[in-house]
This record gives sequence, structure tokens and C-alpha cells, in this order.
Amino acid sequence: MSAPENIQPPKWPLRLMRTIIKTEYLEEIEGDMEEIFQDNLHQYSIPKAKRIYTWEMLKLLRPALLRNFKSSYTFTTYAMYKNYFLIAWRNLIKKKAYSAINILGLGVGIACCFLIFTFVQSELSYDTYHTKRDRIYRVTHGTRVSEDPRNLSKEGPSWVWGNAPVGPTLKNEFPEIEKVVQFSGRSDILLTNDDKKYQENGVFFMDSTVFDVFSWDLLQGDPKTALVNPYSIVLTQSTARKYFGNENALGKTLKGSDSPGRANAGQYIVTGIMADLPSNSHFKFNALLSLSTFKNSNPEVFDMWDYADFYTYFLVKEQFDEAAFKEKLPEFVKRQRKDPKTRYVIELESLKDVYLKSDADRQPGETGSLSNMYIFSIIGLFILAIAMINFMNLSTARSMERSKEVGIRKSIGAARSSLISQFLGESFVIVSLSMITAVILVVISLPFMTGLTGKEFEPGILIQWKSIPIILGAMVLIAFVAGSYPALVLSGFSPVHVLKGMTKSTGGVNLRRGLVVFQFSLSILLIAVTIIVYTQMNHLLDKDLGFDKESMLVIDYNYDEAVNAKSQLLKTSLEENPSIVSVAFSRSVPGSFFPYAGTEIETKNGEMKMMGQPIFEVGIDFIPHFGLKLVAGRSYSREFPADSSSALVINEAAAKQYGYKNAEEIIGKKFSQWGRKGVVIGVVKDFNFTSLHQKIEPLTLPFQAYASRYLSIKVKSKDLTKTIQQVGAVWSEIEPHRPFLYSFLDEDFNRQYKDDFIFRKLFTTFSCLAIAIACLGLLGLATYMAEQRTKEIGIRKVLGADFRTIVLLLSSDFIKLVVIAILIATPIAWYVMNRWLEGFAYRVQISLWIFVLAGLIAFLIVALTISYQSIKSALMNPVSSLKSE
Amino acid sequence: MKKTKLGEFEELVLLTVAALQQDAYGVEIKRELETRLRERLSVGSIQSALKRMEEKGFLTSAFGEATLKRGGKRKRIYYTTSHALKVLEEIRAIRADLWRSIPLTASELKMI
Repeated sequence: MSAPENIQPPKWPLRLMRTIIKTEYLEEIEGDMEEIFQDNLHQYSIPKAKRIYTWEMLKLLRPALLRNFKSSYTFTTYAMYKNYFLIAWRNLIKKKAYSAINILGLGVGIACCFLIFTFVQSELSYDTYHTKRDRIYRVTHGTRVSEDPRNLSKEGPSWVWGNAPVGPTLKNEFPEIEKVVQFSGRSDILLTNDDKKYQENGVFFMDSTVFDVFSWDLLQGDPKTALVNPYSIVLTQSTARKYFGNENALGKTLKGSDSPGRANAGQYIVTGIMADLPSNSHFKFNALLSLSTFKNSNPEVFDMWDYADFYTYFLVKEQFDEAAFKEKLPEFVKRQRKDPKTRYVIELESLKDVYLKSDADRQPGETGSLSNMYIFSIIGLFILAIAMINFMNLSTARSMERSKEVGIRKSIGAARSSLISQFLGESFVIVSLSMITAVILVVISLPFMTGLTGKEFEPGILIQWKSIPIILGAMVLIAFVAGSYPALVLSGFSPVHVLKGMTKSTGGVNLRRGLVVFQFSLSILLIAVTIIVYTQMNHLLDKDLGFDKESMLVIDYNYDEAVNAKSQLLKTSLEENPSIVSVAFSRSVPGSFFPYAGTEIETKNGEMKMMGQPIFEVGIDFIPHFGLKLVAGRSYSREFPADSSSALVINEAAAKQYGYKNAEEIIGKKFSQWGRKGVVIGVVKDFNFTSLHQKIEPLTLPFQAYASRYLSIKVKSKDLTKTIQQVGAVWSEIEPHRPFLYSFLDEDFNRQYKDDFIFRKLFTTFSCLAIAIACLGLLGLATYMAEQRTKEIGIRKVLGADFRTIVLLLSSDFIKLVVIAILIATPIAWYVMNRWLEGFAYRVQISLWIFVLAGLIAFLIVALTISYQSIKSALMNPVSSLKSE
Repeated sequence: MKKTKLGEFEELVLLTVAALQQDAYGVEIKRELETRLRERLSVGSIQSALKRMEEKGFLTSAFGEATLKRGGKRKRIYYTTSHALKVLEEIRAIRADLWRSIPLTASELKMI
């Protein structure tokens, strides 16, 4: 036999034995086992000896030989924790109502926070998917107030929308710029593939460098060449599916209508298919047309520094010094414009700032609101604070019930620190339960958030690995903040005091009152703000805008020449219908887009003065059709054929802009605009052609007989659906090539307030929740107080107190607090809302009744909440409350 | 008899310990019993019997020498107590008494 002593028995059975066999037997048994193993090695093969060893080892698992785990010393603190949990659980079960209030309140609070957090997160995520986002900038164009180069203040906000030559020139002059991408839009174009014909709203004429700068996936086609040739089109996947179904769209053609001022009609070849744009993109499109298509049709605008139709973005090299670059820009502009006195300025905006922080006008897409984000974050924290205060109040109010337990624990020898950890642990248990409630609530309510904010939210946003530490962190933080005060109060009881029989919870009454006042101040603040937001929004919707927006049907046919050619026929056929009042054409409609124009008008002292203002080109009947009121002169008329080229109607603000206080005086003055010369023939009363966030700007309304974009139809009908059908029939008969797409002017106009509506909805929802949670807490507190005073009420009743006295006695405490809260909340709400209203040019006055109403609402809710309890205790039979001791 | 309760297997182990004297440690007891009973026994069964009997006061034990074969672990040598010997005697007496009564009864019955 070869030295069998060198062969060791298998390891794991030995380890098992060492952990479970009584320590005092270990040496003997281990020795015995080894000896037998060595004997077996002589007798059997090594594996068999090992097998026997293992088997024998397993057979050692007998009660007489095993360690006794229950009496093991190391587990005594485990018993204590077990007891803590048991007590926490029993407390939860014993007082179901309080537990429900705590868990539900905190759950709703946390859920609100999560939802708001999700909203904020999605706002912050805009454009973050671009891998080169740190190096992407865009140009904004502005005009300085004065020619003095040192005066940098600008005339109004900058525009993102600007001229074309700035792009290539920047690229030539500055080596630190790697790629420039320019695009124009948003264009509306009618695309046709056989019988599939859709009006695409929002396509862009895009530079071929786009895929070098932005991280959009080109699934098919070559990103380098896809947008090089004229009449190339890149479709997003869903657009491709819309036109070509499941066929491969690459290489196919789409017939495209003309895009006025940009490109002529033509056959577009599909040169690429890209993935649909992520929803968090600051501008979105369904298709991209090559910018060279635009350049082919209108090459001259690409050299014009005064022409605005382009967005210029660029990618810089790694070692880019933003500050140094900005300093070079004024010189660059002077050099290019060859005019040292130029008032034109260009500025930079980083891609990181374009969605939330840009204050420029004429954006290529939607922008978010940083202040809304702050407001909602604050509301989220408010709600959470209210819920946590509920928890603190209920726990300290009920501290009496726990005082005996604390006394006994302390006299047995518990340290204060372990009591603190016990109560913190209890709050952690409650917070954990609330967290589960919150997660369930969030999953249920995410679809409604889409309705509230108009954004898509997927539960996926929350269910991520990285959200787990956030959730855990939030849990610990909430448990700590909400639980630390009760823990300090409860653990501070002196054992002698409480065991002798403490009758009233002494500490914290004032703090509790303070917290209730705080809660209700927040709630009343939210109520007042909601009322103000409502009145302001109603003011916006109901305000007389100075034109007729009711029952106005609008058809946007996008300057279609074929439609414009038959405009007279359309007008007469439509006006034959008795339920149609009038029909008019125009290049824009209120609430839509207005280009800018420079206009020269003769001033009082006879010289021609150049001023800029929006321009609203209208058809001949537009002014009476829209119900605009003339304050001086006349409207365009068929009786004056010269009107089409030598007449101009302006608004009052424009008259004032040229120095005419009295509108009558400007009639007959000479004007010159866009190559037209003539006289001003009329002045219309100011009307709100843009949203009420803005003041009414000066406006000129030149006559444009053809080249219109919108057909507006004033309807007076009881059966609107039928009238629309009739209009549709006329349309399809005269303009069969264009789909009949209509909208209502008032709806279109109010769409400008989309963000305000979202604001209102979110605010209303969350303030209701806040108030509900606060009341929940109050209900708990009131119930507890009434319970505490059962005996007192019994004695009072026996001594002759009537029902009214007792209800008053129980309510007066809370009512007082609410009154204080009203006093605190009012000035804060007034201040905050004044700031908010500054964002509107037309705003309501904040009147006193709003605060009276807010206070009254809060008062009523509180009264309702506590009256149930007060009345119940007041009606209680004193016999039953006094007989038990 | 209640206090002296001894299982059948325990009695065998106890007798083995008594027989082996100075050599009475786990492995030796096992080996001895295996040869006498002509069956395999597990360490666990022997050990738990030893521990139980030690608790009941039939055995005492002390550490003996360590050997290389045991991986340097000491043996535990078991000794029978006087109480154990008395109980063993008692059991033997009871059994002997019973044995004596068997043939007598049987032959008497046959004679009837």
C-alpha cells in the first residue's frame, strides 16, 4: 500500500460535521472517523473509502450529537429584533384605521413623487440619446437695440430660425467646427404613392450631414449619401409602412407636391429608412427631404443674409473652447455683413439647453418648461411632506399607548439608542408597506399620466436596475425623516414617570399643532393656486379676441396651386349652401404662423420710415368674414381693382408704431412693402392674432388674392355634421386630388394653451390629492382626540352640556388651526401667483374672493372631516363611556 | 428498574466497553462489536449510544493518546461506572432467573 496517510478524507463532509456536531464531541468523533477512513484505505479503493466516509458522516446526524441551536448564545439579539417586529406588527393590526391612514397616505404621497419624478426625468432626458450631444451647438439670430457695438441688449428674443449663408461661412472661417447641418421647415407636403395619399405635416429639408451629427439610426441606405441628391427622401419606419405596407420602400418613388417658397413638386426617391424618432427629441418629423431639393428650386435664398428659413446646427471638434468661440462671433458678423454698424447678432446654444433652457422664438419643435418642472417637483415634495406629517402626528399623538411599553423596556435595561432603532424600524416597516402601495398605484396611474401631460410614459421608466437604489434610498430617507421625531419622543419617556401612570401625552402638542398648520397652509395654498389658474384659463378662453372664432371651419391646403386656381369656384359653390355664412381665403389664420416683414410707411413729417412687424396676408373678404372691426378707412373691396397691388390695411398697434395716435390720420399715407407701393386704406381694431401670452403686436394685413393657404368657412347651422359632409362633398368634387382635412378655428387657437392646460390639469389633480391626504391625517387625529376625551365628554354630558357645545368643543381646536393656516397661505399664494400671471399679457386680477373661497373650501373640508367624529362622540351615551374603568 | 433502563444495543455497547477495558474507544468498540455481531455498524450509532449512556451515568470518559492515523486527534477512552456494573449484574440476574424458569415449566406442562 502506498502511504495512505497522505490521502485526506473528503472536505465538505468534514466541514459539515464541524458546523453541526457539538463542539465538545468534535475532536473524538473527527479522530474516529479519520482512523476508520485510514483503515478503509487499506481495505478498499480510495473513492470507495471516501464514499464510506461521506455516508458515515451523514449518519452522524443524530439528535444526541447535534448542536442545540436554540440555546446558542450568538442568536439572543435576534430574539430582540423578532420581538420588535412582532410588536410593530401587532400595533399595525390592532389599530387598523391608523395603519391604513398612515400606509395609504404615505403610499399616495410616494406615488405622486414617483410620478412627478418620472415626468421630470422624461423632460430631462430630451436629446440625451445623441452620442455627440456635448459637441452639438446651434445658432440663434437676434437683433440688437442699437448700432453701438458695446450695447449688447437685444430687441426681443432671438430666433432659432435664420438665414442660410451663416452655416457654410462659419464652417469655412472656424476650423474648430467639424460639421454643419442645416435644415428648413417644418414643411407640409402632400405625398402620393398610387392610391395612398397623405398630407405630411412637419417634414424637413435636411442637409446630407445630418447622420454625422445626430445619432439617428439609418436602417437602410447609406448615411453618407442618402440626402445628397435632389429629390431624395428618407422615411421613418412608420411612414414607410404607411405608404408601402410591408414592401421594402428603398429605391421606390413617392410623388411629392410643391412646398411653396422651398421646393417644386417632383418625384422623390426613397434613399433611406430610419428608425422612428425617440419621443424625447426636441424636434420630430416623419420624413426628411434633401436640402439640395430646396437649393435646386430656389438657389438664390441660400446666399441671402436677410432671408430666414433655416436652422443651423453644428458639431465641434473635441477641443472646443466655447467662451473663446463666442468672443469671436461679433467680429465674424461684422466681417460677413461688411457693415460695422450692423445690429445683427448670432449666438450659440448648446444642444443640452435647447429643450428646457432656450428662450429663443421660432423653434423647430416643442420646448419644455423648466419652471413647470420646478413647480411640479415642489408639489411632489409638498405632498410627501403632508403625508409624512400625518405619520409624525399620528405616531406622537398615540405615544401614550406606547408609553407603558417604553417604560418596561427601559426598566428591563433597554438603552435609549435601541429604543430609537426600534421605533425607526417600525416606521421603516410602515414605509415599506407604503412603498408597495405606491408602486401599485404608480403602475395603475401611469396611463392617466399620459392623459395629464400629453406624453407617453412606459412603466419601463421605473422598472430599471438603477431605480432600485433610488427606491431603497427614498425608503430609508422617508422612514428616517418621518420616524425620527416620534422615535425621539417615545424613547425619551422616563420609566418612573410612565409606569406610575402618565395621564396625558405632554410633549409635542404644540409641535403637532404647528405641523397641522403647516399641512393646511400647503393645502390652502394649493387650493388658492388652483382657483387662480382656473380663473386665468377661463379668462383666456372667454376673452373677446376681436375676431370671430366660433363655428369657423378651417381647411389647410398648404398653398396648393390647384386649389388656389379654383378658389372662386370653391367660394361660390360653398356659399350656395344656406348654412354657410361666408367663405374667405388667407395665408394664415389666428393662432397660426406669421412671417415677419419690413414695411415703410410715411410718417407725420413726410419721410418714409422702415419698421418690422408680423404680416398677415389675407384674401379680399377676409376682414368682414372674420368680424374684424374697422376703426378708420375701409376694407379691401372689389369696387377698387387697384386694391390688389396698391392698398394696405393695418391694425391700430401698427398705426401707433408709426406715430399715429389717431388712426384716421394714417389713412392715405404712402407705404412700401415687399416691392409693393401704395397707400394705407384702412385700420382695423386690434385683435389677438396670437395667444394671450403675448400683447397684440403691430400687424399689416396686405391683400393677397391668390397664393393662399387656408380656406375658412363661417358656418351657422344646427346640424354641424351635415354641413361638414356637404362641404366635404363640394371639396372632393372641385379638388379631387387633395384629401378633405378640416379643423375648427377655436380648437386650433386654444391648442396654443396646451401647456397651460396641462399645467392646470396637473395642478388640480395634485392639489386634490394633497388635500385628501391632509384630511386623512386630520381624520386620524380627530378620531384619536375624541377617543382620548371620551370620559371628559361623558362627564360634561352628565353635567348638562348639550350636543352643540360638545361638537364645538371638539372642533374648535382644529378650526383655530385652519384659520391660522389661511392667514399664512394667503400672502404666499398671492405672491406666487402674481409671478405666474406675469407670463400672460392678458391676466385676471387676483381678487380677495379667491382667498376667501380657498379658505372656505378648506374650512368646509376640515369641518366635514372632523364633524363625523365630533358628532359621534357628542351623541354617545354617557352611561356607556363612564361605566367602564 | 426504571432508572436503570438500558436499550438492547446500549447494553451490547456497554458490555463491549467493559470487556475492552483500557482499549475502549470509539473505533475499537465498533470493530469489536462488528466482529462479534457479524454485521456492519455506523460510527453514528455507536457514538450516540455512548453519549446517551454517559448522560445516564453508565459511562465516564477521558482523553487518551493521539495517533498519527487519527490526524493527531486524541482518543476518548470510556470506562464503565460501578452503577453500570451493578445494572449489568441485575439484568443478568433477571435474565438468568427467567432462563431457569423456562425448562421447568415446559417439562411440567408436558407431563400433564
